[in-house]
Amino acid sequence: MMTDQAAHDYSPSFRKLRFLVVDDFENFRNSMRQMLRTLGAEKIETVNNGISAIQKCTYEHFDVLLCNYNLGEGKSGQHVLEELRHRKLLHHSSLFLMVTAETSREMVMGAREYHPDAYLTKPINRAMLEKRLGALAERREELLPITRAMDLENPPEAISLCLSLLPRHRKHRTWIFKTLAELYSEIGDFAQAKKIYDDVLGQRALSWARLGKARVLLAEHYDDEAIEMLRHLIEDHPDYLEAYDAMAQGLKRKGKPAQAQQLLQKAAELSPNALMRQRDLAHLATSNHDAETAADAWRRAVHLGTWSVLDSPEHHLAFARTLTDLSESDPKGVGKEQAEEAFRTLKKMEKKFPEAPDVGARSLLVQARIYSAQGHPGKADKCLLNARELLPEDKLTADAGLDLAKTLFRTGRNGEAEQLLTSLAQNFEQDPEVIEQIENLLDEPVGLQQRLEARNLNREGIKAFEKGGLSEAAGFFEQALDVVPNHAALNLNLTQIRMKQISEGDPSILRQQAISQCKRCLEALSRLPPQHRQYRRYLALKRKLEHLQ
Amino acid sequence: MSDPKPPEQGNQPVNLPKLDFSMVIASAVHDMKNSLGMLISTLDDLRTEQTDTDSSGTRLNTLQYEAERVHSDLVQLLGIYRLGEQKLSAHTDEHYVADFLKEQLARHEPLLKGYGVAYDVSADDELTGFFDEELIAGVITSTINNAIRYTRSQILLTARADETGGLVIGIEDDGSGYPEHMQQAGTDVLLKSPDFRTGSTSLGLYFAAAIANLHQNNGLAGKIRLRNGGSLGGGVFEICLP
Repeated sequence: MMTDQAAHDYSPSFRKLRFLVVDDFENFRNSMRQMLRTLGAEKIETVNNGISAIQKCTYEHFDVLLCNYNLGEGKSGQHVLEELRHRKLLHHSSLFLMVTAETSREMVMGAREYHPDAYLTKPINRAMLEKRLGALAERREELLPITRAMDLENPPEAISLCLSLLPRHRKHRTWIFKTLAELYSEIGDFAQAKKIYDDVLGQRALSWARLGKARVLLAEHYDDEAIEMLRHLIEDHPDYLEAYDAMAQGLKRKGKPAQAQQLLQKAAELSPNALMRQRDLAHLATSNHDAETAADAWRRAVHLGTWSVLDSPEHHLAFARTLTDLSESDPKGVGKEQAEEAFRTLKKMEKKFPEAPDVGARSLLVQARIYSAQGHPGKADKCLLNARELLPEDKLTADAGLDLAKTLFRTGRNGEAEQLLTSLAQNFEQDPEVIEQIENLLDEPVGLQQRLEARNLNREGIKAFEKGGLSEAAGFFEQALDVVPNHAALNLNLTQIRMKQISEGDPSILRQQAISQCKRCLEALSRLPPQHRQYRRYLALKRKLEHLQ
Repeated sequence: MSDPKPPEQGNQPVNLPKLDFSMVIASAVHDMKNSLGMLISTLDDLRTEQTDTDSSGTRLNTLQYEAERVHSDLVQLLGIYRLGEQKLSAHTDEHYVADFLKEQLARHEPLLKGYGVAYDVSADDELTGFFDEELIAGVITSTINNAIRYTRSQILLTARADETGGLVIGIEDDGSGYPEHMQQAGTDVLLKSPDFRTGSTSLGLYFAAAIANLHQNNGLAGKIRLRNGGSLGGGVFEICLP
């Protein structure tokens, strides 16, 4: 029997490659260097931390990176991979091998989502390194024309190379199929991408092809079909996190943000280290008015950002804002801690991102709201004043403008706030997301608690209306308007009900009183910007009321 | 902004919440496994450095064998924990089986050489199969470990396609084979009423059966089989993947 006789000699290909070994243990670096040398490698460099690894890759090119997942304090292997990909420092033709002591998927789940070319599980010996690395180096060499075209950002060329190399390299067909489908998607030829996934799926229900196909369906807006596929995929593979993300995207588009949030929460629980998922979850929770979940997700996102290239001042600001919103409902109790955490977050952000645009001003705006909620109007006014000095009020970004308007409301400057929002609505009339936020702020320029209360009353009112209880419904809307007097939909709902009662000659109301109530409701909306979703309804009801009089 | 705290006067007694003990165990196991990984690496280094004196070689073998055994037990424990949490699924892809098996043998090369056990792979170079590389590697590692213990002089890894297009991977040795009662235990029985009283062997079998079962295709699930004979005349462990 044999031991080594059938072994392939990889040393000629190893000799040409440039290696970078990243590990915090000197012993491991040395033994890895030693092993690589005996395999024929000549160009081997080593570094002991993530920052140096990225630094090195900025100025030099490496063909093979062997990077430990756990690098002690500082950036982890995941952060290194994430940043190299993000800054496009990693060529498609380079191999990134994540070295881990973990056979555990959980621990490397975050990294898995950035797709290293392979995992090497410790303990590593020379023989297995040779087999593993040899096979990868061979594939790299054989597919080099394709990855070079990808590095030159020439997808059509890469596609035609994939097609021509496919019959010659049957051994790498899985890689070629995956790459080909991704390239087709990248250039927007979803029909071809779908065909590849269907061909693969025709043979076998492979999870990556199922996910790929669902993504193509999403890209082509077959949301229902995609959601159905992903539901089954997740049933079969509850550990396939990217499927959760895709399905959440579909659900959100289908107007099911609550289900989408649930799904992302589950995924975030399974793999808590993916920053972008925490960010998406925070956004969803915010739009679902679930400030608690949003705060937790932002906290996690900000924490994960410590060493990540994906960190952004926006995350810190959003976290501080969410905490501030939460603190307003109980300013002297839990709210006090939340306010303190918000202050700390803002301080940290100002230190980490001193150059970011408007960062000081926007921090001051949030601080003003915290002081206002904590009962320090003097300090709040001072922050607001300082912020306004720093902000170019004639050309505000949407975010800064909304933040400023919110702070104006909180410090009792409602007229100014409405004026600002009206001009913002003009400037951003093309951007439905901004308009929606403007609407929400105009409708409900109050704290989270009151906002939820008003929403509940509104829902009760609509329920009563649907059951035909006009007076009962009007009662709910009136109560809601006590909380948010300028809410467009509420005012119009109440007007509509009263006018219906008038035209039906409902004996439970006095005609003249009802008409003046309608007038007051519509008056409250006199500054409604024409971009508001309720604007047409407002005009229609106004005209109708004039006829009644 | 915080108020000064009153001086401490000892803690109020804390009522301990009910611990999720399996999670405590799992994270401890995780730590132990990583430590053992370091230990095995160091043993590998030591082996390369040491000049051949018979007695130290034998002791190194024992050290490494036992460390490997515990390591693979811990890997299996973690796998079983995750199976219970329903956090494990098989992500199958197409693989060249001969290459895969050679890679698995390479992991054990120092120990096989240390014990003077010959080893080989018998599989068509072009044979491909669909399976989750990481999961099946776990099963094969522990089976090779077991075979090293019971074989006389050699180990053979085999692979072939079965009649239905599935894949059968075998690990054969020339030892005295599996006892009768172990050959009787089918995958169903192993999974439905596992018996862990006999220690790591049954743990390994349960793990292997569970991993096989995770591999499903067209309504069929994978299974394991133990028999005696094969081309070396000893124990034969087979894992069949649909």
